[in-house]
Amino acid sequence: MPAYHQMGHDSENLLLDSGLTAFGGMIISPVNYSEPDVAAQIAAIRAVDEKADFDIVFDPQLYFPRTERGCLREWSYFPSDVDTADRSADSWWQSMITAIVPTIGRLHVDAVCSPAEVPRAYPDAYFAHAVDVGNMLADALRDTNIRPLQTAIIGLAELSTPRRALAVASIISATRCEGVYLVFVGSTEPRRELAHVEELKGAMRLIHALEREANLPVLVGFTSTDAVLWKAAGASSVATGKFFNLRRFTLSRFEEPGGGGGQLPYWVEESLLAFLRESDITRVRGQNILSVASNSNPFGQRILERLAEQPGKAWVALGWRQFMHWFADVEDLIESRTADVRTMLREAEINWRDLEDADVLMEEQRNDGTWLRAWRRALAEYLTH
Amino acid sequence: MTAALTPSTLELIARAICAARGLAFVRYVGAGAFKETFEVEQDGVPYALKVYNSRNNPERATREIDAMTRCAHAHIGRLVAIAVHDDASGRHAFSLEEYLGGGTLSERLSTGVLPPAAVHTLGVALIDAVAHIASLDLVHRDLKPDNIIFRADGVTPVVVDFGLVRDLNASSLTQTHVMQGPGTPLFAPAEQLLNDKAMIDWRADQFSLGVMLCYCAFGSHPYQTDLDSPAEIITRVAERAGPTSNFIDVAQAAGLPALVRMVAPWPVQRYRTPSALARAWAEQCPTSAEDS
Repeated sequence: MPAYHQMGHDSENLLLDSGLTAFGGMIISPVNYSEPDVAAQIAAIRAVDEKADFDIVFDPQLYFPRTERGCLREWSYFPSDVDTADRSADSWWQSMITAIVPTIGRLHVDAVCSPAEVPRAYPDAYFAHAVDVGNMLADALRDTNIRPLQTAIIGLAELSTPRRALAVASIISATRCEGVYLVFVGSTEPRRELAHVEELKGAMRLIHALEREANLPVLVGFTSTDAVLWKAAGASSVATGKFFNLRRFTLSRFEEPGGGGGQLPYWVEESLLAFLRESDITRVRGQNILSVASNSNPFGQRILERLAEQPGKAWVALGWRQFMHWFADVEDLIESRTADVRTMLREAEINWRDLEDADVLMEEQRNDGTWLRAWRRALAEYLTH
Repeated sequence: MTAALTPSTLELIARAICAARGLAFVRYVGAGAFKETFEVEQDGVPYALKVYNSRNNPERATREIDAMTRCAHAHIGRLVAIAVHDDASGRHAFSLEEYLGGGTLSERLSTGVLPPAAVHTLGVALIDAVAHIASLDLVHRDLKPDNIIFRADGVTPVVVDFGLVRDLNASSLTQTHVMQGPGTPLFAPAEQLLNDKAMIDWRADQFSLGVMLCYCAFGSHPYQTDLDSPAEIITRVAERAGPTSNFIDVAQAAGLPALVRMVAPWPVQRYRTPSALARAWAEQCPTSAEDS
């Protein structure tokens, strides 16, 4: 399946960008847009003949329900008692699903994720309740052509326990929904990469169990370069947004202001599986290790032209596009087995070693490729056990 | 503290029920944890009269009767009537069910294993019954050869004894702190043995059915190595050790590879839906007696 565009703040101008046509779907964000705004985005997409198969997914975004969450309060399904209700009660969730169904009917979406909140801890009972809510949604959509997706939120640390992935997958796979929308919650700070071997391995095992054992298509949301690992584990689809060159899904993410993801421009470099600052690009180019993907990325070429012609001029928006173009491209290459993730990781680590040997250092101290050892170990151990 | 009623007391109650209802008492059949079963007759038609021990977990009796009332399937025991009988010792729930005269699967297996083709036919019927139970959001939780009885025709298997049934839409009767959930350990999956309540759904019945069909086909448990005692087998299941490689080879050779997935240690590794299981089971080609 093609990559999905995770809509974020001020992202609608990317939907129809001629350089980002490889995206096969979008995940709507009611936090960042009102219902009329989203309806306009969908109408614009539906009006494009080439996007007849574009898959539009609605995520109710109740991960951390409270009244002051962006535009959420303006949506008709958003409960008025969110701050005071007993959210452990099935009836509360049933009422919300009853309210969501007409909303998504008006929007003509293709799929909807079951509402779910980020918990304080992840006991079995939490996942069982999530499945109950997913089944409520599946029942409510039974006579429609809208696909229900089971939202499964899980802390990466939880998955570091041996066998926990299979236990969670066993509970989640009881869903009557047609697929799983998987959200990994971590504590990784912005501009850091996931680097815990056992967590990554557990996450891959969870994806594998849901996809290959239970035959449930998995869409992993809120991903970045880590998407290559999820694809290697068999995820049908992965989603990213323009800010995911910087951010990860963490609890603190909800504490940030809604005005975007920072203003420093970054370049994603496949040959290093890393994000580079402007001066890093010059150094890496000097070592002749820019990837084929980078050299054929139209936004990458525009960035290089900009750097040559107007050094110092901001290129944040081009950086978002360069990342998203790469993301959809690499997703397609892995899906079609044109690219092998193990090889990609091995070569990236070799390239980092060569840079180290040549004393080529990146601008950010911790941007040194060390996470690739964890990724390679996680993938190797996942594949052999 | 009140003493439990003795079997002879329940038989006296059964006889009193017969006298009050115009039934002829025939014989004592057997006893379970919560009830005793008697063969009775009316107008020459045999019935199974089940008298519940009112002092031993009445909620389970209610759940069993409720489940049987909801089930309507050719391979599930048919409930004819339910009522209560009052006497000096108290109020006693009882049920009148169709009498199944073809003997149990256990009795049949006491003379040896079944040919793969017969196991396949038996599996088709019992998978259909499990699918019906699952469609009602029920989990039988005690599928085993003792609880499969054949109709008088000798070929139609029927699932009986819903005494441990779990209704997934009702609160659990098993306390979370209990180390092991109810069920017959040798046929139970790990999630039942470990009381992993959030993992118990129809796939627990799939596991038990798979183990039962393994005994039918090969005379042994799929987790069993040659020298394992029943206690060791149960430990291996609880540890989620997985079926033995020898069993996997034998199941493949018998043309019954679906058994391997049915008895997988984790629910997610089994067939996710009853229809997927039925499809996989039907697609198998069991070897004939000549082949084997």
